[in-house]
Amino acid sequence: MTAMPAPAHTDALTGAAKFSVRDLDFYYGDFHALTGITIDVRENAVTAFIGPSGCGKSTFLRCLNRMNDLIPGTRIDGTITLDGEDIYGPGVDPVDLRRRVGMIFQQPNPFPMSIYDNVAFGPRLHGIKNKAQLDEIVEQALVRANLWKEVKDIMGRGGLTLSGGQQQRLCIARVLAVQPDVLLMDEPCSAIDPTSVQKVEDLMADLKSSVTIIIVTHNMQQAARVSDETAFFLQERQGEPAELIEFGRTAEIFTSPHDRRTEDYITGRFG
Amino acid sequence: MRETYRNELKAIKAEVVDIGRLVIEMTRDSTVSLVEGDVDLAERVIATDDELDSRTIQLEERMIETIATQFPVGRDLRLLYSLGHINMHMERMGDLAVNISKATRRTAARTGPRTMYDLIRAQGNLVHRVLEAMLEAFETKDLELAYKLKEMDEPIDHLFKQFFRELSRLQDEEEIEWVSSMVLASRYLERIADHAVDIGERLVYMVTGEFEVFEDGFGDESGSPEA
Repeated sequence: MTAMPAPAHTDALTGAAKFSVRDLDFYYGDFHALTGITIDVRENAVTAFIGPSGCGKSTFLRCLNRMNDLIPGTRIDGTITLDGEDIYGPGVDPVDLRRRVGMIFQQPNPFPMSIYDNVAFGPRLHGIKNKAQLDEIVEQALVRANLWKEVKDIMGRGGLTLSGGQQQRLCIARVLAVQPDVLLMDEPCSAIDPTSVQKVEDLMADLKSSVTIIIVTHNMQQAARVSDETAFFLQERQGEPAELIEFGRTAEIFTSPHDRRTEDYITGRFG
Repeated sequence: MRETYRNELKAIKAEVVDIGRLVIEMTRDSTVSLVEGDVDLAERVIATDDELDSRTIQLEERMIETIATQFPVGRDLRLLYSLGHINMHMERMGDLAVNISKATRRTAARTGPRTMYDLIRAQGNLVHRVLEAMLEAFETKDLELAYKLKEMDEPIDHLFKQFFRELSRLQDEEEIEWVSSMVLASRYLERIADHAVDIGERLVYMVTGEFEVFEDGFGDESGSPEA
């Protein structure tokens, strides 16, 4: 394998790196899925991962909270640090990592329990029993998830009775209740109605002052609207690993990207 | 991918080229009308400006609709944004050709000093060259040619200064009035070329994403005697 050229990097934002990824390669068994990924994800910013289907963006996202560990036969080369600490280092508890680095999926997946219990689930797991304290955590998480006003009078109702968009915000509240540092969102708006999309996008803007957000999206307008920085991934040829092609300020990526492949993708010439 | 959108962008660009040809024609005809005292030709230029105005407005509407419905980004966005500017410059160049044609109305009744005709003819030829080069640079995205526009514009500014020197030599009241119209026409020609230089700057942005101001470009008054 020849050394990968550094991805074209447009004027980056200044600010501390939350995640620092260096020379990351990822394998599903024999299949080499990602190669040479080097990127700094900035703290308190929204970073979007874009690229055609199969470009490895979700795979990379799942490396960031070791979600891929759950798939047998996967392995990584290279390093990923969170606040300077190697997340694949010895002594790192993946469960604790996943509390710090929460994840939202495409399909909302509330637990079959009440709205209240969904949000209180994590804090309870971490040993919080005090009712008043739980009430406060639940309310705050629902407020931050832009859902409180809609559910405050129906907290005992089942989470699955909510609309799809509300369920997604409930899942966000459930993650926020355990005070994560980072929120990984994998296509969070693909399965929800436009009004809820707007609410999720609004809450991302509100949350980024306290949480670092990484969003994988197929919707380029969404990436352009919500993110501060954008990373473009591409698998150039079938069977070869995907790469990070370009990473930079979102405004620049969507007006004057440096790499021709980025420009061809964002202007809809392929993908 | 995105066939309809791609075709629309191509069609918009083609219309800007067509409008550019119309503007070149109007500029040439207005200059000829002035030199030959051809009031009919001048009137035709003035009438053509209505067509130019309506075409530039229609084109602007088309571009706004494309932006609203297709969310252009990257080079498509730079193209549309630049075409918007270029379209506006074209419209103004047409207005200046109309002004030259109005100078024909004022000057055609009598014949003035021979030098004046020679100067306008020379200036008109230089402006024509700049406009042709501008349109070619645009059609072929030839940035090297775009960068040359400023250099090609310089002698046009010098000729305009020459007009002022000629004006200062005159004594006769009536002649001064006649020559003043010619000086104004020369000024309009010089401004038309400045718009072409500015379009050249836009081309650089359109192709590279970098904003550049050509030295002494449009908006710089160093080419005029009042500076």
